[in-house]
Amino acid sequence: MRRQPAPSTVRWLLLVAALLLWEGLPRTGTVAELFLPPLSKTLAVLVEDWTLYAQALLVTLSEVALAMLIACGAGILVGALVGGVALLRNMFLPVFSSLYAVPIVILYPIFTAWFGIGSESKVAFAGMYGFFPVMLSTAAGIRTIDAQLLVAARSMGATVPQRIGRVVIPASLPTVLAGLRLGGALTIIGVVVAEMLTSAAGIGYLVTNYRTVLDSPRVFAAVLMILLLSILFDALARTVERRTLVWAQAGRRERIVVRDDRRLAAATSPV
Amino acid sequence: MQHVANLTPRRVANDLNGEAAPNAIEVAGLNHVYEGRDGTVPALEDIALTVGAGRFVVIVGPSGCGKTSLLMMLAGLRRATSGTILCAGKPIADPDPERVGVVFQEASLFPWLTAVENIEFPLVLRHAPREERRRRALDMLNLVGLTGFDGRYPQELSGGMKQRVAIARGLVQDPPVLLMDEPFAALDEQTRMTMGHELLRIWSQTAKTVVFVTHSLTEAIYLADEVLVMSARPGRIIDRIPVVLPRPRTYEMMATDVFGRLRDRIWQQIRQTDTKGAP
Amino acid sequence: MTRLGIIVTRLALFLAVVAAWEVLPRIGAVNPALLPPLSDVLQMLANVLARPNVHEAIAVSAGEFAVAFAIAVPLGTAIGVLVAENDYLGEIFKPILFYVFSVPKSIFLPMFILVFGIGFQQKVAYAAFSTVFVVIMSASAAVESVKADHLLVARSYGATRLQVLTRVYIPSMMPILLEALRISMIFNFTGVLIAEMYASRTGIGQLIQNWGENFQMPQLFAGVIFLAAVAILFNETIRWLEARCSTWRT
Repeated sequence: MRRQPAPSTVRWLLLVAALLLWEGLPRTGTVAELFLPPLSKTLAVLVEDWTLYAQALLVTLSEVALAMLIACGAGILVGALVGGVALLRNMFLPVFSSLYAVPIVILYPIFTAWFGIGSESKVAFAGMYGFFPVMLSTAAGIRTIDAQLLVAARSMGATVPQRIGRVVIPASLPTVLAGLRLGGALTIIGVVVAEMLTSAAGIGYLVTNYRTVLDSPRVFAAVLMILLLSILFDALARTVERRTLVWAQAGRRERIVVRDDRRLAAATSPV
Repeated sequence: MQHVANLTPRRVANDLNGEAAPNAIEVAGLNHVYEGRDGTVPALEDIALTVGAGRFVVIVGPSGCGKTSLLMMLAGLRRATSGTILCAGKPIADPDPERVGVVFQEASLFPWLTAVENIEFPLVLRHAPREERRRRALDMLNLVGLTGFDGRYPQELSGGMKQRVAIARGLVQDPPVLLMDEPFAALDEQTRMTMGHELLRIWSQTAKTVVFVTHSLTEAIYLADEVLVMSARPGRIIDRIPVVLPRPRTYEMMATDVFGRLRDRIWQQIRQTDTKGAP
Repeated sequence: MTRLGIIVTRLALFLAVVAAWEVLPRIGAVNPALLPPLSDVLQMLANVLARPNVHEAIAVSAGEFAVAFAIAVPLGTAIGVLVAENDYLGEIFKPILFYVFSVPKSIFLPMFILVFGIGFQQKVAYAAFSTVFVVIMSASAAVESVKADHLLVARSYGATRLQVLTRVYIPSMMPILLEALRISMIFNFTGVLIAEMYASRTGIGQLIQNWGENFQMPQLFAGVIFLAAVAILFNETIRWLEARCSTWRT
């Protein structure tokens, strides 16, 4: 039987090929430089203007941090409540899942009209954008906690504070960390989109600005920065999860959780 | 922690002065009803029983007869609508892990703690000093035959091993009484048999009073000094059957006439109550 | 609480929100220039829906939506099925696809504009791009969800390939396909709107963006309510279909 190269090798080869094409196609004139500036040029302008990009990135990051506070803070709390209390769950969960169908972007002009084009509107919008999915994911995750663990704790004489601190909180840690990762990814998207639409600062603003003057290398450089930001955040979040949740690695449950919430993460960022 | 090896439970039941030790458990006039969708439902009726110290008592009955509820009440996890429960002479209304240890059907180990951390958890709740609680937990771990598995997480343990950890956890505070709610029900048959054997070994080494709930008649007879048979709902104790098989028990005893007759007797009684007023 | 109690409570809360939206701006507790009273918004909605230029915008958006969908669904399904069926290709591409999923698609919008300019093609291309990945993922999940046991049973009874396709694959995949349809519609809708809001001369998204920039709040809110209603309507319709088709599913 013909020996096929290992899939990871093929992936690396594809990546290298893609990079080569990125450099080669525009240089040979096969693709216009306007559509696809060569990789080298993109990296060059990034280095050249790096203070500009760094400043913009800082603005974006500060907005993301604040928005994350809102989206994750409110999302996890509300999600825990709605998911944990049966009455609230039955009353609100179906409503929230229906509302999820509405594209939140259409609310952004309202936020700019109310808060102006500064950071406030981005934070408000991204905070809201991240809130629903984090809340839904936390509500779902809370229900996976085994109620029997609380009965066992009670049988061992645990007081209510002890039950909360030593059982509920450790048991909800996987859900909360997944919520933080989801919220972070979504708030990054929310802030960047808002900056692209209407803004005076931030990395999204740079993208739009350079596009209007048809400065392709700088557009691509900014997009590259955003990509790196999102990939780095994801890697960071997953590392934190892996380190704190050592105990979950041992079981096959982890794999299922990872697969499901990757799907969830992909499904919840239509933007 | 005493290791009382090779003593039959009856001997331990007498304290140092040669007098009979107080009964480990006394239940009198216990009735329990709960609010169902169509009015009050009687769950337990006129339960009265005494369990001598150091005895191994097994409760069997059909599904829904209330045996688990009864056990929860003995543990202080649930309150009966009327009646008294005394444990070591004092009433029990709330969980008291120093008097009563509980082992559940699903081991209910905390997945974020290792085996030894799970065992020492009750001591952590009591704010016991670290060295002491680790030492006691490791003692228990050895007792249940899991030496070397202290650093494993529950997901890395088999069903039988998890239940051993749960038993160790129930014993770590050295309570005189151990309550077990169908602890082997989720295990496959071979593991069940091994675990039953192990449980009897642990019991003979620690001289606890054990109240064990099960569906399995074979398991009940194999383990017990006395089998209490409960009727279908509302649960009543319809028979008390002493098991006169010698200890230590062996698998071969399961093939004897005595064993067979005991099993028949229990089965007949359960069958009768189940067909009469099954819910 | 009973089912009726829940419905009544939801209704009560909804009415409370409606009342607040009407009363608070009117009494000045909230600036009516920023949040016009609900009745004004609804009046404006009726007004706006009667305008021919709005009809045109809706038609444009609907057209973009339809064409993008027509591209993304077959393409995504083909790729998704391929990745699911062919183990080797699947192993190569699945991790790549996973990474691409978690990347925000909207950052590529400017590139589409650089290539296509501003117009119908660009918006359709972008919307299709942002939708196709979800379709791929759903299609491959749908194929993988067909239980191997069912296939084995069918084949052991001598089912032909066509019969296996129609009598095992398709009924098995139905619930997931409908779910995929619903989610890809959401993505597609969002993609079209974002493209229109970002840089466009036509379409509902552009109208909304415009109204926002000019502080025409009643129109803006009217547009938002209209789009939200459309989105929810589509969503619930497909949900209902899903429920009808999934009765056998545990």
